[in-house]
Amino acid sequence: MKLELENICIDFREIALYRDFSIGFDEGKITCILGPSGCGKTTLLNIIGNIVKPDRGNLSGFEGKIISYIFQDPRLLPWKTVKGNIEFVLGKEIPPEEREQLADHFIRLVELDDFAGYYPSKLSGGMRQRVSIARAFAYSSDIILMDEPLKGLDIKLKLNLIKTFSRIWEKDKRTVIFVTHEVDEALLLGNEIIVLSKPPAEILTHLSMEIPLGDRSLDSPSLSGLKMKLLNTLGN
Amino acid sequence: MKISFTNKQFWRIASVVFIMAVWKILSLIFSSDFVLPSPEKTLVTTLGLFSEKHFLVIVGSTVMRSLAGFTLSVILGIGLGIIAGTHPPFNAFLQPILITIRSIPVIALILLALIWLNPGSVPVFIAILTMFPFICINVIDGIKSVDPDLTEMARFYRVGRSRILRELYFPAIMPFIISGASSAMGIGWRAIITGEVLSQPLYGMGTWMQGAQTFLNVDAVIAWTILAVIISFGFEKTIRWGERKLTAWKF
Repeated sequence: MKLELENICIDFREIALYRDFSIGFDEGKITCILGPSGCGKTTLLNIIGNIVKPDRGNLSGFEGKIISYIFQDPRLLPWKTVKGNIEFVLGKEIPPEEREQLADHFIRLVELDDFAGYYPSKLSGGMRQRVSIARAFAYSSDIILMDEPLKGLDIKLKLNLIKTFSRIWEKDKRTVIFVTHEVDEALLLGNEIIVLSKPPAEILTHLSMEIPLGDRSLDSPSLSGLKMKLLNTLGN
Repeated sequence: MKISFTNKQFWRIASVVFIMAVWKILSLIFSSDFVLPSPEKTLVTTLGLFSEKHFLVIVGSTVMRSLAGFTLSVILGIGLGIIAGTHPPFNAFLQPILITIRSIPVIALILLALIWLNPGSVPVFIAILTMFPFICINVIDGIKSVDPDLTEMARFYRVGRSRILRELYFPAIMPFIISGASSAMGIGWRAIITGEVLSQPLYGMGTWMQGAQTFLNVDAVIAWTILAVIISFGFEKTIRWGERKLTAWKF
């Protein structure tokens, strides 16, 4: 089934962000939305997450879907340990032992086993973002929304987090909608890459990536070719 | 055996020695036990208090009054503080009341309480009125300081209301509650003893202080005072210990 937004219209601070904008997302894929800063990417996520209602337009396929989030800032509770932070979002419907097992499982997947009992203040920025990734996956959602979660991290950390994220995702194949303004991130993480224009947003390009997530290298000729193409599209 | 002090400890000890020296010199100048007894004599009197008949009941009554006042203030302060912190209209309603209570001189509260209440409950009443506003105001400030990004995260992840309250708001305001409790205890403890001096409950440190003053037992007045200072110090230490336990994530 496809998740769709149809004929969306919305203004934000008197800017017409979207005018009769339609977009579709494949389930079980990572869709990267690439666009210049201020093009309304966050607003699009807010519409999908049902946090903001569009002035006009329809959403279909999102009914009853549970969503988890990875924010730009990890947003961890400073008074809870790594494990406590993950358990915090796991609902009462899950028995406590199971909650603990789930948390442990995802802590292992993001390679923070030795830090499960640490408070966020004792972790590095990259480690905190790993916790936030583990939290998003541990939460039994249908869709993960990511709002520039790699912004502000250095390139080495970024690549590291992308690797971690891809590894977990390969086992899980959850629907992911990921917004960014960094071409490299989109190329390394997207199954689908959609480029948006300045507002009112239009879809400039839609790429489907065939290379599996783990096998991508920014240095490879195919990716650097695509990178040039995307940068050109964004530049216009 | 060599005893070593840190620089800070040295100056702390120097400060105590200085107070004692000034006290000793003044007592030599006045050379009257009715004005200022010597530190040694007062020390003996202080130790003598422990063998006083009903000593534990006297001290226990005052401590119990302060604990009762403190507990009620914490419950009231946290309860009203959370409502005010999350409901701006109630906050607007509560602010003038808190400011008024805080501005009333303690002695005026005592005089009125003496008319309205029986001697035993006057100090507790005074304790609540002096302590509660501190805790309440701190809780309100604490709630205002809660990071909206965190509450948003909790809402997005559909965490239940009671868990958001218990696991997000409560720990976030804990440092504010503790700092409020610390100032409240400092002020409330003094107000309770003042209240006892004036209301004369059957047992209480204030009652005994007043008794000593009537008979010009200046050394006993000072001895009770020293005891009050030591107990207050104990409360402060307990609160700081609680802080380390309750906000371990900060240390």
